[in-house]
Amino acid sequence: MIKSQLADAPEAVHPALWRASQLAHTSTDCLDTGYPVLSAQLPGGGWPQGMMVELLLPQHGVGEFRLLRPTLAGIAQGSIVLVQPPHAPQALALAAQGIAPSQLVWIRGTGRDGRQSSDALWAAEQILRSGCCGALLLWQNHVRGETLRRLHLAAQSGNTLFFMIRPLAAAQDASPAPLRLSVMPAPGGIEIGFVKRKGPQRDAPLFLPLTPSLLQRHAPLDRTPSASAPARSVLPSLVG
Amino acid sequence: MVLEQERVAAMSPLARAAGVRAGMRRGGALMLAPDAQVHEREPQREAEALNAVALAMLQFTPQVAEAEEATLLLDVGASLRLFGGIRALCWQIQVSLRTLGFSGVISCAPTARGAWLLARGGAARAAAAGARQHAAQVVRSAHSHRAEQADRSAHSDRAARPGDIARRSDAEPPAYAVRVLSLASLEYSLAGLPCGLLQPLRPYLDWLEGIGCQTLGELRRLPRPGLQRRCGRAVLDMLDAAHGLLPELFEWLEAPPTFRAKLELFDRVEHADALLHGAQRLILQMTGWLCARQFAVERIHLLLEHERGREARPPTAIEIILAEPTWRDEHLLRLLKERLAKLTLEAPVIGLTLEALQVHPMLPPSESLFPDPGGSKEDRQRLMELLVARLGAENVLQAAPLADYRPEHANRWVSVQEKVRPSDARAQLPPDMPSLPRPSWLLAKPIALLMRDHRPFYGSPLKLMSTAERIEAGWWGEAETRDYFIAQGEDHTHYWIYRERPRNGDGEAEQRWYLHGLFG
Repeated sequence: MIKSQLADAPEAVHPALWRASQLAHTSTDCLDTGYPVLSAQLPGGGWPQGMMVELLLPQHGVGEFRLLRPTLAGIAQGSIVLVQPPHAPQALALAAQGIAPSQLVWIRGTGRDGRQSSDALWAAEQILRSGCCGALLLWQNHVRGETLRRLHLAAQSGNTLFFMIRPLAAAQDASPAPLRLSVMPAPGGIEIGFVKRKGPQRDAPLFLPLTPSLLQRHAPLDRTPSASAPARSVLPSLVG
Repeated sequence: MVLEQERVAAMSPLARAAGVRAGMRRGGALMLAPDAQVHEREPQREAEALNAVALAMLQFTPQVAEAEEATLLLDVGASLRLFGGIRALCWQIQVSLRTLGFSGVISCAPTARGAWLLARGGAARAAAAGARQHAAQVVRSAHSHRAEQADRSAHSDRAARPGDIARRSDAEPPAYAVRVLSLASLEYSLAGLPCGLLQPLRPYLDWLEGIGCQTLGELRRLPRPGLQRRCGRAVLDMLDAAHGLLPELFEWLEAPPTFRAKLELFDRVEHADALLHGAQRLILQMTGWLCARQFAVERIHLLLEHERGREARPPTAIEIILAEPTWRDEHLLRLLKERLAKLTLEAPVIGLTLEALQVHPMLPPSESLFPDPGGSKEDRQRLMELLVARLGAENVLQAAPLADYRPEHANRWVSVQEKVRPSDARAQLPPDMPSLPRPSWLLAKPIALLMRDHRPFYGSPLKLMSTAERIEAGWWGEAETRDYFIAQGEDHTHYWIYRERPRNGDGEAEQRWYLHGLFG
C-alpha cells in the first residue's frame, strides 16, 4: 500500500519527499517574489525565509536590486541590511523602488586587509542569529564551504530573508544553499538561470522583463550620441 | 605563603606539601620551602576583597551583611523563587564567586548563626584536609525569617579566602558545603561541629577538653547556669541564635550611591584580550550594585591603567554608551569583548577601573502576549551596538538622504548611532522620485571612460538609452555641470554615465565621459 502511495503522491508520505518532475514543498515561509512567472518556478512559490538563497551575478549592477524590489518593498518592518556591497548603495534609487531609506542599514568594509571578509561574515552571522532584521544581503567573492554551511545554519535559526550574492564563477562550486539562481542581463530585463533548486532540472533560463521600472519615461530607442562633427570626419559605420 | 606577624597564616598546597604549617615562624617556613613567595597579610586588601564579593552578591538578594571572620550573610528567603530554588541559587553564587576569582564555602541553614557555624566548620575541615591554604575567609550566609516559613527558609553561607587575593580560582570541593533546610537537621548538623568555632568559647577550650566536651552538641547538654557563670552570656546567646531560639539582628550592607571599582592585576598585561577576565570581575560587581540600587546603566567607563615607565602615561579609557540602559552583564561583556579585541595597547596594563557614569532607574521590559516575530526594538538596538563595537561607528551606516541635486551629496549615509527621524529623511526626498532614474549603485569615484569611435566604451561600446538629465549645481562649493544618460552595454547591462559639460564657455573642448553608477 505504501508503495502505491509513494508512487502516487510521495509528499503525502513525508513532506520532505518529492518527485524529480515536480517542485518540492517547503516547510518554511516564503515571500512572494512579485513576478508570478518566477514564483511559479520556485519551490514554495517565493523566496524562502530562514534559508540561504544564492544569487550568482556575472558582474555587479545587472538588475539584482530590481529583481528583489517587490520583495524588499514588501518588508513592512525590520531593517534591510546590506553587508559590504561592492559600491555605495544609493538610498534615493532604492526609495524610488519603494524601499524606505529608514529601513536600510549599510555595513561598509572596514578597510582592514585580511579581516574584511571575516568581519562581513561575523556581522552576517550576528544579524541572522539575532533574527530582528527583515532581510540580509551579503556580498562575498570567495567563501569557503564551511563558512557557507555555518551561515546557512545561522539563517535557519531565524526567519530572516537571506540573499548571498556571489560571482557567477562560483556556480561550479558546491554550496549548501537550497536555492541558487544565476542572474544575467538580457534585452529588456534579466534572465534567471536555475543552478540549483528543489525541483526538476531546468536548463532554459527564465526571462523576466524589468526595464519598465528603469526607463519608465521613455520607450527604449536606438539612438546614437549626436556628435557635432565636421563633415567627413564621421565613420560610415556610425552614420548607418 | 602569607605571613601575619612573622608567623605563617596561610600557604599554598605546594608549600603545605613541603611541610609548612600554619603558625610556623618565617625562618622555619623558608627553610622548608626556600622558593616560596612570601607576602605580608594585608587586612585592608582583604576587607576590599570582601567588599567586592559583597557587592557582587547584591544581585542575588538585597540583604547582605558582613559577619565575623570574613563571612558574609545573605538572606535568600525571598530570592529562592526568582533564581529557581536553593540548589540553583547556590550554584549561581558559586559561579559568580569563581568569576570574581575567589573560592568559598557555601552553606545554608534556617538561621543565620547556624549557617555561619556550618560554613566556618566547612572551611575548617577544608583547611584541615589541605585543600586550601590561603589566608582569611569570607563566609557568607543567607538567612530568611523563620517566622512564617520555617521549612523553606534557607541560609546559605560561604567561606572564601582572600589571602593572596587574585590567585583563588580553584573550585570548592562540594563536600564542605553543607545545605540544611530544616531546623531538625540543622540541630543534628550543628551537634557535630567542634566547640572551637565559637569565638567567646576559645579561652575555655582547654577546660572544655578536660571535661570531655568537644562538640557543640555536648556543649548544649551542659547545664546552662553553670556554663553562663563560667564562660559568659555570649556563648549561650550564640548557641540559642543558631538553634533559632533567639532573634538575630543584622546591619545590612548599603550599596554606595555611585559605582567605581578598581582592580589591580597581578601581572603586566600586554594583550588587550587578556583584560577581559579582569573586566568581567568588575562588571559582575557592577551588576550587583545595579540590582541593589534598582538602576540600569547607560554609560560605563573602563580605565586601563598603564605601568609607569620612563614617563607617566594617562590611563586608556574605553567608553561604552548604550542606546538602551541595561543591568545585565551579558550584553556589556559582549560589547567589551569586541572593543578590547580592536584595541592595541601602547603599554602594559597593571590595573583596571570601572565607573558607571550614567544610570537610570531600572525599567523592566514589558512583555507582550503575542511577541513580534521580528524581535523587539531593544533586540535591534543591541544588535547594532554589537556591530558598532566591532566594526566601528563609521562602518555601520543608515541612510540620511539630503535634498541636493548632485547625486554624491544627495546620497548621504550617517552612522546608525545618530538619530534620524524617518519623517525628516522622507522630507529630503524629491517628490517625483519614481520618474528620476537613479542607479542603485553609485561609484565612489567616477571612472573616466575610453572613447572608441566617438562612443564611450566600458567593456563594450555603450549605447545611450535615455535623454539627458542635466544636473548643474554646486556653484557654492563643488560645482558640477553634467548631462547624465542611461547607457546600455552590448550585454544589456545598464550604466549611468555622464558627460562633463565645458564650463565658462570653454568652447568645444574635448567631451569627457564618466561612468558614475550601475543599475542594480
